[in-house]
Amino acid sequence: MVPRELLPIIVVLITLYLVVIAFSYWGVHRIKRGVYAKDTEIKRRLYELAILKEIADRTGYSLNIKKILDVIVGSLNQFLEYSVVSYMLLEPSKVVFKADLERSVSISFIKDIRTRMLGSLSALLGRDLSAVEVEETITGAIMMGVTEEPVRSYFNIPLVIGDQLVGVLTVSHTKAGLYKESEMEILYKIVNQASQAVSKLEDVVKTEQGKIAAMLESMLEGVVMTDLDYRVIAANPAAEAVIGYKGEGVPTIFNFIDAFNESLDIRSKLEEAIKLDKVLTINEVIFNNKYYQVVVSPVKSNIGLTRGQTLGGVIILHDVTHEKEAEKMRNDFTSMIVHELRSPLGNIKKIGEMMRSSKILEDKQASSEYVSMLYESSSSMLDLVNDLLDVAKLEAGKFSVEKSSVDIKEILSERMKFFEATARDAGINMNLIVAEGVPNSVSVDAKRITQVLNNLFSNALIYTLKGGTVTAICFLHKKGQTISDEALAVSAPWVSDSMSLDTTILPDSVVVAVTDTGEGITSENIEKLFNKFTQFASSTRDSEHKGTGLGLVIVKGIIDAHGGVVGVGSKLKSGSTFYFTIPL
Amino acid sequence: MIKKILIIDDDKIFSKILRDGLIAGGEGKYEVIAAFDGEEGFDVAIREKPDLIMLDMMMPKVTGIEFLRRYRKEESGKDTPVIVETQLSDLEKMSEGVELGVRGYIIKSDYSLDTILRQVEDILK
Repeated sequence: MVPRELLPIIVVLITLYLVVIAFSYWGVHRIKRGVYAKDTEIKRRLYELAILKEIADRTGYSLNIKKILDVIVGSLNQFLEYSVVSYMLLEPSKVVFKADLERSVSISFIKDIRTRMLGSLSALLGRDLSAVEVEETITGAIMMGVTEEPVRSYFNIPLVIGDQLVGVLTVSHTKAGLYKESEMEILYKIVNQASQAVSKLEDVVKTEQGKIAAMLESMLEGVVMTDLDYRVIAANPAAEAVIGYKGEGVPTIFNFIDAFNESLDIRSKLEEAIKLDKVLTINEVIFNNKYYQVVVSPVKSNIGLTRGQTLGGVIILHDVTHEKEAEKMRNDFTSMIVHELRSPLGNIKKIGEMMRSSKILEDKQASSEYVSMLYESSSSMLDLVNDLLDVAKLEAGKFSVEKSSVDIKEILSERMKFFEATARDAGINMNLIVAEGVPNSVSVDAKRITQVLNNLFSNALIYTLKGGTVTAICFLHKKGQTISDEALAVSAPWVSDSMSLDTTILPDSVVVAVTDTGEGITSENIEKLFNKFTQFASSTRDSEHKGTGLGLVIVKGIIDAHGGVVGVGSKLKSGSTFYFTIPL
Repeated sequence: MIKKILIIDDDKIFSKILRDGLIAGGEGKYEVIAAFDGEEGFDVAIREKPDLIMLDMMMPKVTGIEFLRRYRKEESGKDTPVIVETQLSDLEKMSEGVELGVRGYIIKSDYSLDTILRQVEDILK
């Protein structure tokens, strides 16, 4: 027997023992629970990673949400318990419904989830989908001989890609009480990550496509891309403009074949390029009065599994009309120069021959006539050579002026006198208007300004008919005023500027102008006036003033070198004003 | 019988040399008149009905070819022989001139009065 006085101690010890056992049991349990939770968490994480990795591996850079969902659906059973996993996707004209049966369920079970999913899609979209065609695919456990068991647990996740609802993913079970919101976190994560990946990829693709589309749109060359059956996949606005296509949507290859009918067999060129796998360049295709260089080339894939495979063909239409015109202009220019040099040279030779062989030298009048012909011919050659040299200097940037203080009014009236004789012979009146306030001393290259005036006067006299008037004008320009207003203020005959030059921004200058009452120049030809190559073609040269046609090119060069501007105003059948400014 | 020759050329010096050469070389057989552009040449040709025209191809206003096209449509210009003056470099462009009944040509930078005289004589015989 245990002594009575020991009893309380024993009781205390037993109690302590029990407490210790209880505590240790509880502690171990807690640790166990913790370990278990951690283990589950790690398993979940690993699973999540595995799923995501699998998604990434199996879908690659796929934009196909169906493929990605199939991967998710195929691996979800490792984590969640369900009878059926299903998804529903919205497509332009239908809804795709796919159910994967983990366990056998009844037909009405499937019908039920289908109805529920369509219902939630309709609710999410805010539009009724009950009338839309549903394409159904059912895989997995067979449904034969199963007991009618209803849907007792059901969980629904919307599929959103790039802020747009594309469908729903659902798990369902015949057992009740499953799928609490907290347990479904992992499913959310998977779906979210998958849809984010797709969104990002879509963005990248969109940006890239956008870049390519923008590049194609802005290209000056017409670009047409076709598939292997020569169907047009894309054509940029420039290509549409070439054939004058104004229809809706992408033109067909027949639009191009028909348009180029006469000039080029586009279809056979495409066939050749694709079948022989080579780039064809067809130069000088003349179409609609324009020259094109046409390049037809096969298009090959350079990414993914299709790398190196021919996807179709591309036609590039390069408008080379400008180049052709420039080439023609250069040739015309050269032959004109040759002509201009040859004619006087041929004449000089012939004059010499005549003077040597015939009795001209004995006839005083005839011989003096021939001597002046020699003088004229050699002068016109020399003028041309000088002009050519000036233009060459201008183009080389080596044109310089030697300025000194001179009275520009004096140069002007002296040139007037020089041309008066010619004007009188042609029956043309000449006037001089010099406004008050023009300084007596301006810093210019007197020789070069004389050359400018010679050009302006002789041009004016050439194009003015008998009875017309050529007026030389000299006045001051103040910054902020327009030159034409200032000309009118001194009552000078003036044809307003056709070159849309803003004269208000010009600094204070002396303006010198020559206005004629000639035939005028078309605006198209005004643009050509100062171009070395086009001047010849546009000018109606006069027999007596066989100008080199380079005159205005040189005029502009001289005035540029003085820091001034040259302006032209012209009105057909009524006359022209040519002016230049010399900044003070 | 004196034959009338019309020179249509904007190059007055060439025109004068040609005229002097034809008058001197023709020893009184030829009367030579001149016009200085295609427009004037057309009027003179219609008015004077020359037996032969020496025509410059490169002229302002109305070029040689344009003159020929117009002139050949006229009753008096249908069969008038024409010798064109041209540059060697433009010879290739002469096919239309041949269609328009051009009988001969002179290369302007390299001509000899003797050859021209012989050509003119042949045509006017």
